[in-house]
Amino acid sequence: MSDARMAALVFVVGTVVAGAALSGGGSPVAAQQPVRPNLSGFWGAGHAVPLDPALVKKLPANTVVVPDAGAPELPLGNFGGLQPKPSALATAMRWKPEDDMKVDRVCLPPSIVYSMQGPFPMEIHQGADLIVMRLEYYDMVRLIFMDGRPHPPANAPHSKVGHSVGRWDGQTLVVDTTHLSRSTLTNNGLDHSDNLHLIERFWLSADGQTLLMQQEFEDQDVLENRGARFVGWDRGTDFIHPYECDPTFKG
Amino acid sequence: MTDPAAPGRYHRLMRTLCLAAALVAVLSAGGVLSHMVSAHHSFVVFFDDAKSITVSGSVTAFKFTNPHAIIELAVKRVDGRSEPWRAETNAVTLLRRRGWTKESLKVGDAITIDGWPSRDGSRDMRVRRVVKADGTVLGAPTNQRVD
Repeated sequence: MSDARMAALVFVVGTVVAGAALSGGGSPVAAQQPVRPNLSGFWGAGHAVPLDPALVKKLPANTVVVPDAGAPELPLGNFGGLQPKPSALATAMRWKPEDDMKVDRVCLPPSIVYSMQGPFPMEIHQGADLIVMRLEYYDMVRLIFMDGRPHPPANAPHSKVGHSVGRWDGQTLVVDTTHLSRSTLTNNGLDHSDNLHLIERFWLSADGQTLLMQQEFEDQDVLENRGARFVGWDRGTDFIHPYECDPTFKG
Repeated sequence: MTDPAAPGRYHRLMRTLCLAAALVAVLSAGGVLSHMVSAHHSFVVFFDDAKSITVSGSVTAFKFTNPHAIIELAVKRVDGRSEPWRAETNAVTLLRRRGWTKESLKVGDAITIDGWPSRDGSRDMRVRRVVKADGTVLGAPTNQRVD
């Protein structure tokens, strides 16, 4: 084969190979990634949302929807349908509200089980491998790992934000959280243990202006049944302000 | 709200509470105390949301802080003597978005506070609305019921 023909052959083969690479040619790397909703941005005060009967019906058996999302709160002795185990109930009935107002306790943040449903705004920064949620409430920051990592061993440190891993289920962000340190469930004496398991599902409303969440939790150390909440946040353009709790606020 | 098995669960809860009362007595006698790990100020636990109260007086202190801003005021009694009252409001992070600032109230301001009384009968209350002497309502409530 002459040099000219060889060069032409190399050129043609090279062009074909390059073209196949650029067009994807069936490679999984080049497969199109699904478009995920963008949850990034400022979200206004959390609030209750009308219950969707279809979603309530899909909840696991023995799950009660706790009616304290947003501003409403439960009075003493009312746990919103949650059924505490005897020892947990006894502890809750002994609770004295004024004890929580002492200087060494008043600025202890609740865990995200309670904090996420409160009437406070948050900011979300969404990346492919990590989603960050900044809650204005008690300046809490949540890291949601999206890279497929598992939860750490059971004896890893616990905290009020716990350890969260997430995945996409279609257009819904599913967040699984463990390693939450013991804290209030209903802000009236009923605490969850450090073995509580929390699952949250986040999705956008049809117009993209409301972030909706379905929260589910179970705690076999404390509860006979399971709990759920439905919360919404409206999109806004404000900033998160520092909370900076003052333990001397009552003087 | 949906509570699929409300009636049955209510009776089971009441029965459980009675048993719990007996259990509490035993645990108290035994000196068993639980370390509470939550700390947040519940409106309905501390204040009676079924009642209303209105007090008027002059501001003696205004703490614009989290978890709750506090207004202290001197209220004139019928007999002419002055007694101190304390009124709790919402978190500053929320008040700010309703137009409140740390300068919203000053010592000496004459105000009227409408709100909910404390459950323990003390001179504590939760603010629903603050009205200044000139009729100005402080802040602009949003969809929240308290301020």
